[in-house]
Amino acid sequence: MNFDVVWNNLPYLLWGAWPQGPLGGAALTIVLSLFSGIASAVIGLVLGVWLFMARGIVHTVLLLFLSFFRSIPVLMLIFWTYFLLPVALGFSVPELATVVCALAFIGGAYLAHGVAAGLRSVGGGQWEAGISLGLGRWRVLRLIILPQSLRRMAPSFVNQWVALIKDTSLAYVIGVPELSFVATQVNNRAMVYPAEIFLFVAAVYFVICGALDLVAGAVAGKEREHTRGDKAAKTAS
Amino acid sequence: MRRVAVWFGASGGSKHEEKTMKLGALVLLAAVFVGGAAHADRLDDIKKAGVLRVAAFDSNPPFGYVDEKSRQIVGLDVDYAKAFADKLGVKLELRPTNPANRVPLLTSGNVDLVLANFTITDERAKQVDFSVPYFSSGQQFLAKKGVLSSPDQLNSLRIGADKGTVNEIVLRRDFPGATIVSYDDTPFAFTALRNGNVQAITQDGPKLVGLLANVPDKENYEIPAFTISNDYIGVGIPKGETALVEFVNETLTELEASGKAQEIYDVWFGPNSKTPLPRLFKIGDAKTN
Amino acid sequence: MDLSIFGLASIYVEWLLWGFGVTLLLSAATCVAATLGGLVICAARISPLRVFSIPARIYLAIFRNTPLLVQIFFWYFAGSAIFPTPLLDWFNNPHTVTIAPAGTTWLSFKLPSFEFWAGFVSLTFYTTAFIAEEFRSGLRAVDAGQREGGLSLGLSPALVFILIIVPQATRHAFAPLLGQYMNAIKNSSLTMAIGVAELSYASRQVETETFQTFEAFGIATILYIFAVAVVEAIGELVQRRRDRKYGRGAVT
Repeated sequence: MNFDVVWNNLPYLLWGAWPQGPLGGAALTIVLSLFSGIASAVIGLVLGVWLFMARGIVHTVLLLFLSFFRSIPVLMLIFWTYFLLPVALGFSVPELATVVCALAFIGGAYLAHGVAAGLRSVGGGQWEAGISLGLGRWRVLRLIILPQSLRRMAPSFVNQWVALIKDTSLAYVIGVPELSFVATQVNNRAMVYPAEIFLFVAAVYFVICGALDLVAGAVAGKEREHTRGDKAAKTAS
Repeated sequence: MRRVAVWFGASGGSKHEEKTMKLGALVLLAAVFVGGAAHADRLDDIKKAGVLRVAAFDSNPPFGYVDEKSRQIVGLDVDYAKAFADKLGVKLELRPTNPANRVPLLTSGNVDLVLANFTITDERAKQVDFSVPYFSSGQQFLAKKGVLSSPDQLNSLRIGADKGTVNEIVLRRDFPGATIVSYDDTPFAFTALRNGNVQAITQDGPKLVGLLANVPDKENYEIPAFTISNDYIGVGIPKGETALVEFVNETLTELEASGKAQEIYDVWFGPNSKTPLPRLFKIGDAKTN
Repeated sequence: MDLSIFGLASIYVEWLLWGFGVTLLLSAATCVAATLGGLVICAARISPLRVFSIPARIYLAIFRNTPLLVQIFFWYFAGSAIFPTPLLDWFNNPHTVTIAPAGTTWLSFKLPSFEFWAGFVSLTFYTTAFIAEEFRSGLRAVDAGQREGGLSLGLSPALVFILIIVPQATRHAFAPLLGQYMNAIKNSSLTMAIGVAELSYASRQVETETFQTFEAFGIATILYIFAVAVVEAIGELVQRRRDRKYGRGAVT
């Protein structure tokens, strides 16, 4: 093992051509993860609540919409949005937006189901209590149900975000210079050190995902102190 | 199953797939047309935006690769791209591409030009426009020493090619006995060769020369002295942008007349470069095949 | 046979179907191997012996927290450094398996090439980690009272685990397990990066030859959705039969 190739290209692997060129490498991976993470959470929450509240045909259509994003490979969706959407729309979409969009919708589709399940897990008694207080369905949801179930949803959000961080590597197929892409560039140039390069890259992803896990664990730990005895929180750990 | 039914259903019921497909294509066409009308002239758009977006290779020295020191994409194709941007007086924005993404990048409007060792073919010319050729090369092979000496052997070999290249298509057409494994880019194919997954890789000769120049143990490999086709390299331009095509052709001719084209060539393939190759083709020369 | 559809010539549809076949073969092989691997890793992870549980923890942490694409590149490009040369040579040379009882060829097929094996290995290692965790949460979902009940009946802890806990855990883990199988189908698309001729690879190849991008990606997408939908339909079917058998409350 000769990690010189990693040391020699460290700035490129960590932040790409920046500041003389666009941001890349691990820094871009983090930026992409942040944007798609936030967007997926918003999409997941909105669609999840909608899925929970909707009935009949709207519910079915929504379910099918979500199923589409859950059954298409991320790679295929990136191809569609990058190469075919512009043809349909008549203007080009920047590649970073493409990746964030594709990842956010796939992540959001998974989260929506988690959110709906979390909402369902709150007992019917809570609903009755809220409605008997004279609150409407949406207000009960917002004031009583959602705050309780958000805590139970937290693990699925963290899992989904970890998946998102890993999936940013697929931006590689459309030439977005995130960590995996710049790593293949370096590998292509050095040619004889693939093990060293990809071990290093794996380690960087591991650190990023691990950091998210630690932060989430710390937040969950604090939450648990507030709600000692809450069985859901205990089993969620 | 439910999901599949509706996937079809979304476009009008599974019995009418073909009809709706045509309808969809029509709508798409209309969208393209409207889009096209809105951007009547790409050359004007480029001047207005002040940016020329060019797709170039990022892993194929000396055409386009990331320089280790400056961390920027450099190479012969990049120098031509710079010349275009300079003449327009706009900023050059480079997008890294692999071979397979070149046509989609143009048709989707994500770049203005492709300068990435882009071989001019009739099939491609239906999708995109090409400039006059600015480089010429033949399709060759790279193999471990002593493995390959004549084209007859190709039919019994496992050969690595690049996804989305003419090389891949020519090989499949002319050597049906060969097993072709296609990779995202030439260095990937070379790694497969080094690991023994394939017995030879195919690419345009100058690209292979450029690759071999950077291989740490180059004495183990050779480029057998035969070509199976002759390729002309041009600038890829979005379909129907006549003003842009004219501008590119005009600039190329000027670059040759002023000696700048020779200068660019010498930087990358001249006698003092890492990959010395005689310049057999000049911009404006007649094609010989 | 004329397979042309959506204006795509028959030969190219054939390419796509071949690619689909490789996708199915690759993901099926992955699912089988990863389920077995998942059982082993899960058992090691819950083992009270640290010699087993600590390596299992490390395995899970590494393979769950790094992108599959990077793992694929690692196994493929660094494979030659890791695998012993004879094994590598064996993988690289095409092999034909012939089953010929009593001199007549009964079955003859080509073994897949190195890139297929590299794809299979990376997908399996990756999927194993996720399946192991699904098994583990399945086990955790079994109420502690079940174990106590079994023990109070006089069964040994091992018997309680095998007879009472595992069957219930399997039921809890069933839906998530199918979810992982669907992921395996979708994830197999990443092996196109190392030249495995699966569906995504085929769709790009068709695009290269025909420039019918829309048709090539469209058919590939439909095939992926179809495969995932079939797994889901099987899941629903099994679930429904089970609901009838145990009543709605049995699976939560």
